[in-house]
Amino acid sequence: MANAYENQTLDENTTRFLSEAAESHFDFHSVSTQAAGDERLKKAVNNATMRQYTGRQLQLLELPDADKLRTLAGNIKQHALENLDYYLELLRKNVEKNGGQVHFSTTGEDAKRIVMKIAMENRCRSIIKSKSMVSEEVNLAHALEDAGLDVVETDLGEFIVQVSHDKPSHIVAPIIHKDRASIAKVFSEYFHSDYNDDPQALTAQARLHLREKFRRADLGMTGGNFLVAETGQVCVVENEGNARQSMTTPRILISMVGIEKVVPRLSDLSVMLKLLARSATGQMMTIYTSIFGGTRTAGEKDGPEQFHLILVDNGRTEILASEYRETLRCIRCGACLNACPVYRKIGGHSYGNVYSGPIGALITPLFEGLHDYKDLPQASSLCGACYEACPVKINIPEHLVRMRRDIVRHKFNGRLERLVYRLWGWGLRFPFLYKWIGIAQKFDLRRRAHGSGWIRSLPKISAGWTQVRDMPAPAKRTFHQVWKDRPQDSQNPN
Amino acid sequence: MPTPLPTNTDSSLTLIDRVRRALGRYEPITAPTTPPPVIDESITRLVHSDIGLSELFAKRAEENKMIVHRVYPEELGPTLVRFLIDQKCTRLALPDSPFLNKLNLIDNLRSAGLDAKTWDRMMLDEVYDCDAGVTDVFAAVAETGSLVIRPTAQHGRALSLVPMIHAAIVQPRDLVADLVDLFDNASREGNRNGLTIISGPSKTSDIEMNLVTGVHGPCAVGVFLLQ
Ligand code: SF4
Repeated sequence: MANAYENQTLDENTTRFLSEAAESHFDFHSVSTQAAGDERLKKAVNNATMRQYTGRQLQLLELPDADKLRTLAGNIKQHALENLDYYLELLRKNVEKNGGQVHFSTTGEDAKRIVMKIAMENRCRSIIKSKSMVSEEVNLAHALEDAGLDVVETDLGEFIVQVSHDKPSHIVAPIIHKDRASIAKVFSEYFHSDYNDDPQALTAQARLHLREKFRRADLGMTGGNFLVAETGQVCVVENEGNARQSMTTPRILISMVGIEKVVPRLSDLSVMLKLLARSATGQMMTIYTSIFGGTRTAGEKDGPEQFHLILVDNGRTEILASEYRETLRCIRCGACLNACPVYRKIGGHSYGNVYSGPIGALITPLFEGLHDYKDLPQASSLCGACYEACPVKINIPEHLVRMRRDIVRHKFNGRLERLVYRLWGWGLRFPFLYKWIGIAQKFDLRRRAHGSGWIRSLPKISAGWTQVRDMPAPAKRTFHQVWKDRPQDSQNPN
Repeated sequence: MPTPLPTNTDSSLTLIDRVRRALGRYEPITAPTTPPPVIDESITRLVHSDIGLSELFAKRAEENKMIVHRVYPEELGPTLVRFLIDQKCTRLALPDSPFLNKLNLIDNLRSAGLDAKTWDRMMLDEVYDCDAGVTDVFAAVAETGSLVIRPTAQHGRALSLVPMIHAAIVQPRDLVADLVDLFDNASREGNRNGLTIISGPSKTSDIEMNLVTGVHGPCAVGVFLLQ
């Protein structure tokens, strides 16, 4: 990966992010603290997420009973997961009936090898790739580039990410963290053209460049939002038309999709599609919804001659076997990101992996190991906004708490932290002691506030609390004192 | 992470076997363990009546930034020609469609000096040099104001995608009320060739949330809704 970046001028965001990523151990605190202090980033992310969030709420109002529809969508996905072996078999049978081939891949490496093999066997020279989270997950584009293949990301955002050697920071809006000036700079260098930061002009420049790629491409790649077992088809939603290009011109089409995307029936799509775009971007429908699969039929002059469906496991069966099965319902709409007060402050890169926001905080540790990502499940206020937003009703806060339990169980939290909690637990058993510790603490904290009502810094182990914000000083009287002295008549509940 | 089932990482198992073990089963099942959830139309359906579909479709299509013309059959030719000339189109690609043939559309377009070719007489690559695709539709959804295209030997995928302008001709009998109906019909008829649902001109808001139309698909979609 590193060699691809050599001799390239990177913008500051990217440089900082890449150097963070290069450190072997991912450090949530330092990336997120920097991100929280980056005013421009914060403004960009806040602006974009708030707009999507309000859009979503307006669109959901239009549904007769959004809550019941979400329950139904969740039930459909859950049903598919509970019977995934059955539906995968059915899907395979139907894809083959349509003239396609199904490949199962256990790891990301397998998946990449299969793509490479198909490309080599068919002497493909130029690959057009549309946006897909799973290809991001296995880092497909880099692997293909490293193998000397001409591969281009065709989603505008992903294209910008590719030419600026950046990383996407939002499931739905990959360059939410970039402003037009930095994009214009990258483009003027990449195309050797004059600097122009008009979004219209930038888009036109990319369109012209990519159109030639579409015309000549011999291998097209897409992801998939849903897999329809009953018909052996893939459903892809998009706004730009580049995924449609992948399934129109090239001789060969590969769709790489996670196994959890299966739904049983074609009619399930009417439920899912009514929620997906509304939840993602506040649209009623995305501009293009394509349902496709198999090879071109007799007499057709476009569409693929070969169709390959690569089904990717890459850790999913382990999640399926665990208590976190429900998280596989996710349809990657990004609504939980937009709703999340933490995501809005720190942006997607802070989560250190492909999936960010509340759902990322859950599945990144599941995919990559809890030990290395133990900070993520703790970076949540458990306010529940994500659960409320989720179109398939994944109870994210509950799973986050469960995961915190796992952290404690595996002793992944620090020694000191464990000691403090042990002492606390011990203190709780002795009300008298607890009371006096509380009072002592109150005096100490009020002293540190110097009468201003705010504590600006705390020593040593509690320093983290006041690193990026002040803490209000405790009230003069403890809750116990207030409770004891409350007016007597309020004692009778009524 | 909670310890996965021990059998789960056995590399000799196929992926489907591993999925099965993860679900606590050892033998294949011949039917789902429970029937799939019933799709209750009182929850999913947004458009209930078949009355006024034409108005609703036109309204929604306009909200989707498509340019809607409601025309009587005899006005179709001239209105279409005017639209195409306004959009500076000269080279056109059309599907080989009995419906469009019946309307004599090709003659209309040619006599206005436009260079119109049908899909059966062209190569895919030529579509990249066309300014507009003029097509009929498989269906049109009133609920979402969407056009639905089914690719066939007579109607290539490229026609509604590659040229900068897409003009679609919709007849009243193409209209369905709700997505629910579209998918019910498609399941009934079988959906081997697939579907593309189009809900506006191609667009992106990737750059600072600025809306730009015409990224990789058409930058304008004209809808000619026959009365
Ligand atoms: S967890 Fe729910 S809200 Fe978040 S991306 Fe997935 S489906 Fe959307």
